[in-house]
Amino acid sequence: MVNYGGDEVSALVIDIGSSSLRAGYAGDDTPKAIIPTSYGYISPPASSGEGDVTMGEEGVQEYTGKAKSFFGHSGPSVWRKNMEIGNPIVDGLNFAPIPALIRHALDDVMRCSAAEHPVLVTEPSWNTPANRERMAEIMFEEFQVPAFYIANTSVLNTFAAGKGSALVIDIGQSMTSVVPVVDGPSPARQSIDLYPYQLISSKQAVESNAPPRFTLREDRVAGTTQTWREWLVQHRQPKQYEFPTGYNTWFGPERYGVGENFFHHSPQLVAGNANVPKHIPGLITDSLRACDPELRQVLISNVVLTGGGSLFSGLGDRLAAELARSFPHFKIHAPGNPVERRYGGWLGGSILASLGTFHQLWISREEWQEHGKNIVGQRCK
Amino acid sequence: MATAADVRSILSIPSTSIAGPSQPRKPSVSVNRKPEGISRELYSLIGPSAPALAAQLAKPRLKQKPNLGGGGKVKWEWRKFRNSARSDSLELSHWVKASQDADAEYKFAKYDKKPTVYQWSQDEYSRHLEDSDWTKEETEYLFKIANEYDLRWYIIHDRYEYPNGRERELEDLKDRYYSVCRKLIRNRTWAGDEASRNALLLSFHYDKERETIRRKYVASLANRTPDQIQEEEALYVELKRLEQNERQFKKDRENLLRTLAGIDSGLPDIVEDDASLIINDPKKKRFKGDIDVPQTPILTAPVMKRPPAVNKNAVYDATHCIIRNDPPSNAPATKVAHTPAFMRSFKIPYPKAAIAPKVNSLLTELGVSGSRLVMPTQANCQHLESVMDAAMNLVELKKVLDKVNQDIEVLKARLELKDDMRDSASVADGMEEAESENRRSRSVTSGRGRKSVECILDLLLCYPNYFLRVVVQCLSLLLIPLSPLPQGGQESGKNARSLSYTGIIRCCMQLLLEVTIFDVELATCSAEKVLRFGLHWLYS
Repeated sequence: MVNYGGDEVSALVIDIGSSSLRAGYAGDDTPKAIIPTSYGYISPPASSGEGDVTMGEEGVQEYTGKAKSFFGHSGPSVWRKNMEIGNPIVDGLNFAPIPALIRHALDDVMRCSAAEHPVLVTEPSWNTPANRERMAEIMFEEFQVPAFYIANTSVLNTFAAGKGSALVIDIGQSMTSVVPVVDGPSPARQSIDLYPYQLISSKQAVESNAPPRFTLREDRVAGTTQTWREWLVQHRQPKQYEFPTGYNTWFGPERYGVGENFFHHSPQLVAGNANVPKHIPGLITDSLRACDPELRQVLISNVVLTGGGSLFSGLGDRLAAELARSFPHFKIHAPGNPVERRYGGWLGGSILASLGTFHQLWISREEWQEHGKNIVGQRCK
Repeated sequence: MATAADVRSILSIPSTSIAGPSQPRKPSVSVNRKPEGISRELYSLIGPSAPALAAQLAKPRLKQKPNLGGGGKVKWEWRKFRNSARSDSLELSHWVKASQDADAEYKFAKYDKKPTVYQWSQDEYSRHLEDSDWTKEETEYLFKIANEYDLRWYIIHDRYEYPNGRERELEDLKDRYYSVCRKLIRNRTWAGDEASRNALLLSFHYDKERETIRRKYVASLANRTPDQIQEEEALYVELKRLEQNERQFKKDRENLLRTLAGIDSGLPDIVEDDASLIINDPKKKRFKGDIDVPQTPILTAPVMKRPPAVNKNAVYDATHCIIRNDPPSNAPATKVAHTPAFMRSFKIPYPKAAIAPKVNSLLTELGVSGSRLVMPTQANCQHLESVMDAAMNLVELKKVLDKVNQDIEVLKARLELKDDMRDSASVADGMEEAESENRRSRSVTSGRGRKSVECILDLLLCYPNYFLRVVVQCLSLLLIPLSPLPQGGQESGKNARSLSYTGIIRCCMQLLLEVTIFDVELATCSAEKVLRFGLHWLYS
C-alpha cells in the first residue's frame, strides 16, 4: 500500500449519477452500494386533491419529507399503488431527496455511519458553486461528516484511466459530455457544455404498461435505405429481447441504430427539433477548439471513453472511425471491463481518496465551521 | 556376585572378544558420533577417520526461509493521526503497526511542496517592477492566482479574470510573472554564490517573442487541411524512398569495392592464413581440377563458392570473347596469395621511377600515350606492354652507352699518355725485353680480337641501324692495340691488361645482350657466342 502512495483512512466515496448512485469505501475497486437514483414516492392524500400528479419535474418539486418514499432496489422497481417515480438529477437538480438517497445507501446498504468517515462526493463538470456548497452543507450539517471533499467526475475519470491530462467522453444515461482535463484537478471550465440526451433512457423498459418503443426507433433510422438494413441484418447477429409485457421481437440493426444517434442526426430529427444537441464528433471538435492549440494534441492522444452509455456495442470502434476522419493521431482509452466504464467516476474518487497525499485537501469540519461555504470553492478547485 | 566381565577383568582378557549377556555392548556411536551428512553404512565402512570427506558430504543446505518479521505476528492499530501539511486540527485514522512511533511525522506531509512565493514592497515595486502595461494590483493578482494554481499556466490562463483588466494572452502572463521574478532576484542581495544565482535566473528565463512564434507554428500545424497533410505525408514518403535508394546505392558501391579490393574486406571464400595445413592440401588439389577429393564439411562451404574453371564452356567463352586467366595452381590459398579481380589495363607495367620521364618522353615522341589506353583489349594491352618494354630497354641502353663512351675517352687519354712516355724513355734493357714481350702478346690479342670482331660483325648485320654506332664503337675499342700498363713490371702488367680487357669484354657482352633482347632468337645465339668468346679469351 505504502509503495503506491496510498494511505487509507476509510473514506467514503459517493458518486451520484442520473441512473444510479454509487457509494463505497475508498481503495476498493467497485462500489459497495449501487442503488438507482430514481425513487418512488406516494404523496400524502392531502396533496392528491390536486388530481393525479404527473410524473416528472412537477412531482419531484412536490416531494417533501412527508411523502412516503421508497429507495433502493426494492424502491421504484416494485409496484405500489399510486407510486410516482422521481429522479433528483434528471430534469434539473433537486436536492430534497438526495439526503434520503445517501442515507439509504450508507445506512441501509453499507451499514455504516457517515459521521465516522471522511466523505468524497463527485460533481459533474458543469456543477455550479451554489450546488457544491449545498452539497457540502448537506454532508456537514445532516450527516455530521468529519471531513468532506467534492471532486469533478471528469477529473476522476481521468485518474481512473491513470492519466493526468485527457479528453473525457462520458456517455451517461441522460448526459453526454466531452470535457478536457489538463494537469489534474483543474479542468478548463469554459469549454464545458451541457448536452442532454433523452434517447438512451427511452431504450429502457422501466415501467410496466409502457408500450414497446419499436415504432420510435423506426423513425430514427428512417434515413437508411432498405438494402442497407438488409445487408446489416445479414452481417450482424440479431438478438431477441422480451419486453415486460411479454412482447418480444428480434432486434438487428436497431441495436446499432440507437448508438448511431451519438454520431449522426437524421435530417428529419434536425428539422423537427431546433435545438437538437450536437453529436459527439462535433462536441470533441468544439471543446478542442476552445483549448489552447498546444494542448490539442495532448488531449486527442488521451481520449478517455467512459460511462455506461459507452457500452453500446461497437461505439468505441465507431468513435475511433469518426476521429480518424479529422485527426491524424489519436488514442482512445476505453477500459475493457464494463465495471470500470460504468463506475469510472467512482473509481477515480476511490483512488483519490485513498492517496496519502490527498489527506491534506479534505475540508475538515473545523474549517467548515470557521470559514463557512467559501471554503468549498477555495479548496475544491 | 562376580560376573563374567569381572572375571575377564581379573584375568585381563579383552572384554570385546565375547560379550557377556549381563553386559550389553555399549554403542560405539556414543563415543564417536556419526558426523552429519554421511550415511550410516558408509560411516561404518570408513570409520571415524574421514573428517574431510564428511565435511564435503554435508547435507545440502536449502535456500533459507524468508524471515517474515520476528514471530510472524504484527500488531496493527487503528490510530488517529495529524497531518502536518494541514493548517487545522483534523484527525483522521488509519491502520499502522503498533510498533510505529505515535508522534512520528505523517509520512506524506513531506510531499506538500509549494513554489517560492515572491513578494515585494511598495518601494521595490516603484524602483524595479514598474511596467506601463501592468498595474501593481494586477501584478499582485497574477502572483496570487499563479501560486493558487501551482504555476500550471494553462489553468491560470483559464481562470484569469482580473476585474476591468485587459484580455491577457498566456504569453503575457508568463512574461510578466517571470520578468518580475528575474528582476527581484537580480536586485536583491543574494546570500549564496554567483553561480547558484545565475542558475536560478536561468530557470526564470522566458523569451516571449519566441514563445509567441512557436505557438503560431503549433496553431498552423494544427490547422492544416487534410490535403496539406496528405501532401506532406507524400513528401515524407518520397524522402524516405530517396534515402533508401541512397543507402542501397552506397551498399552496392561498397560491395563493388569489396570485390575489387578483395583482401581488405575479407571475401568469404578466402581461408585465413592461420588455418592449418590440412586445409591447404585439398584446396591445392581442388585447383588442379580434382573435384572428387573428399573435403571436410568446414572446408566445403568456402571452397564451393569459387567458380570452377572448367573448359567445357570453351565455346561459350570464345563466342563471348572471354579469356580466362587460370589462377596459379601452386599459389597457396591464403589471403596474401589471393589476387582480387582486376582490370587488364591496370596490369600494364610502369617504367621505373628513375627512367620514367625519359621513357614517357620517348613514347610521346612516338605518338603513344603510355598512361591510358582508349580500348584496352587484350591484344592492345600486350602491344603496349611490348612497346613499353622496348622503350625502357632503349633508355637503359642509352645510359650504358654513355657510360662506355666515357670509359673509352678516359682510356684513350691514358693511352696517349702511355705513348708519350714510351717515345721519350725507350732506353733501358729491361724495357726492351718487356717491349718484345708486349708486342707478342699484342699480336695475339689483335688476332683474337679480329676473330671476335668478325663474329660480332655477323651479328651486327641483323641489328637495327641505330645500334650500329654503339657496336662499332665497341669494336673500335677492341681493335685498339692495348699496351700493358707500365707500372709494377711484367706480372702486374699482364694482370692489369687482362683486367682491362675483361672490363671491355663485359661491356661488350652487356651491350650485345641488351641489344638482342629485341630479337629473342638472335639474342640467344649471339649472347651465347659472345659469352663463349669472352670466356675463351679471358682464360686461355
